[in-house]
Amino acid sequence: MAYKPKKIVESLEYNKQWDEWARQGNWSPVGWRWIEGPKGYRLDKLSTTNYLVIQRPHASLYHHSYGMTSKFFKGLLEKKLYGSKCPKCGSIYLPPRAHCWNAECRLEETEWVELPPRGEVHTFSVMAFSATPFLKTLPFIIAYVRVEGCCTTVPTRLLKVNPWDVYPGLKVNINFVEHPKGDIMDIYCTPAETPDPSKRIMSSETIERLKDDMRKVKEWVVRKFGSEAKPSIEI
Amino acid sequence: MSNRVAVVGGGISRFDNPRYELHEEMCAEAVREMLADNSNIDYPKDIDAVIYSYFSDHLAGQLCFHWIIHDYLGLLPKPAYRVESGGATPIDALINAFMYIKSGIFKNVLVVGWEKMSELDTPKVNEFIAAASDTDFDFPVGGYYTGYYAVLETRHMYLYGETEEDLAKIAVKNHNNATFNPYAQWRSQHGTTFITVDDVFKSRLISWPYRALNCAMISDGAACMLLASEETAKKFTDSPVWITGVGLGTDTMRPGDRVDNPMYRGLYSEDESIYPGVSTKTASPYPEMANFGSIRVSGDMAYKMAGIDNPVKQLDFAELFNPYDGVELAEYEDLRFCKRGEGKILVREGVTDWGGELPCQLSGAHTAAGHPVGATSIAQAMQIYWQLTEQTANKWKTKARALSGAQRALLQGHGGTGCQSGVIIFERG
Repeated sequence: MAYKPKKIVESLEYNKQWDEWARQGNWSPVGWRWIEGPKGYRLDKLSTTNYLVIQRPHASLYHHSYGMTSKFFKGLLEKKLYGSKCPKCGSIYLPPRAHCWNAECRLEETEWVELPPRGEVHTFSVMAFSATPFLKTLPFIIAYVRVEGCCTTVPTRLLKVNPWDVYPGLKVNINFVEHPKGDIMDIYCTPAETPDPSKRIMSSETIERLKDDMRKVKEWVVRKFGSEAKPSIEI
Repeated sequence: MSNRVAVVGGGISRFDNPRYELHEEMCAEAVREMLADNSNIDYPKDIDAVIYSYFSDHLAGQLCFHWIIHDYLGLLPKPAYRVESGGATPIDALINAFMYIKSGIFKNVLVVGWEKMSELDTPKVNEFIAAASDTDFDFPVGGYYTGYYAVLETRHMYLYGETEEDLAKIAVKNHNNATFNPYAQWRSQHGTTFITVDDVFKSRLISWPYRALNCAMISDGAACMLLASEETAKKFTDSPVWITGVGLGTDTMRPGDRVDNPMYRGLYSEDESIYPGVSTKTASPYPEMANFGSIRVSGDMAYKMAGIDNPVKQLDFAELFNPYDGVELAEYEDLRFCKRGEGKILVREGVTDWGGELPCQLSGAHTAAGHPVGATSIAQAMQIYWQLTEQTANKWKTKARALSGAQRALLQGHGGTGCQSGVIIFERG
């Protein structure tokens, strides 16, 4: 399907080198080690033996359709925020659902509505470690934000705020990145109000510890990635 | 007469990172321990069917791994299939086996679970586990599972006021329990010295409020358990452990969808009423993004089947699914060990400590015994079996965490951020 659509209406064609890069590795060994290691099913019954350990890489390229929620992601490319609304019960979804999940609506198909670029933090975390694709931007804040009028919350990055100034209820603006790519990272949040210190959920002891943590994480990211490090929290 | 289901044996191949043995070799070790402990098992004749439990094809770069395991264990051409439901995989495998025996189709069902997570570096493992979140929404933002659970814990802290110190106390309890467990990764990697709250605070921040010692380990390991019908159980053992209740429940894939979830609205009105008057009140105050509705639903189903109406009094101990310490605290509430918001009181009063009224995680569980996903709940079930049959002191070569006279225990497991949950009640015969 992804290779031979009926008609391409508009596109940003990918660098075809990705086809080659996605074949990198091919599960073929690139190295090996003959090692000594422990053998045994309990810690009090261990012996030592030899193992052959190979290094075996592979890569892949997914051609992923966003299905009936495609308009939402096309909206991101155009810097517009859409949600989906059930014509029966009026629930507005962001993340969008193409079918309403209210039982009485019997999976009614939803309609698209443009949403205001505003919301509030429902809950959040300060990320000091992560999965491979996100390490360079550590530390960062993720916030689950309820966009005005929606019955669900959407995960976003929250920028331009100290982590201890974030609390449930903090009003935020939804912003678009300069060059959208067509995924949820095309939006990010920033505070829409000056954070109220009396609403902080972290104790002063926690804040001191967190400042120290942030410093250590930044040092780690810079050490690991050098000039490619892009820490998202400025302190 | 309804066909009762018994546990009659099993084994564990220790949790560590890395284990250099192959997946099938670790499984064979667990089965060998079961056979060594129970000479009444005529293997493989007595095995009618096998349920295999492993989570990730990505971590091993191998699909249909259970076909390799099944033939390796010499169990062809017996019926077998694989169960997969993220972290709930091993408890679902056990419940599948229970239902098979209940149905009368098979008399003796072996459950074998394993995971090998050490073949990739930690950020890549995080990436592949995060592939079990919504890859169009939650994953690209970079939360990964520690982040998803952290935002849930932040919300619970905001509503009910437990502190990082409460979470650290749970970490201390579980790590110190694991120092006695000869199958535990923590003991392998860090020895037998106890840790303190200060050690937890000194460990690396992962995603606030969780630090390294609050988080599940990345592990290799295997476990197996043999379940049997009432009719055949007596052939294997004079001291079977009975499964007297099982329960299952579900919640949304994306944690962010739980705030106004119509499917939970009004289900637990008492828990909805114990909700502070905050500016961010939701239309579905329980569980929303603070507690685990799937765990409540599965617990209530199992309690009803087992005739339990006061879990703290009627259970002697529990092994919970604890990938992060705030999850254990919330589970106390969702499993009705206390009222909503009072999990912190159980921690502060030591109710779930060794020597407390309802000890939890005597094995050390996910953060300290280790968490090779497909094996975890099966190994916890085996530790329950050894406690209820008073074999723990012998197995562990110490009485330090061995209960005497325990009658009834609870095992809880779940996958995703509580997207699905299972509970099993075990009772000695």
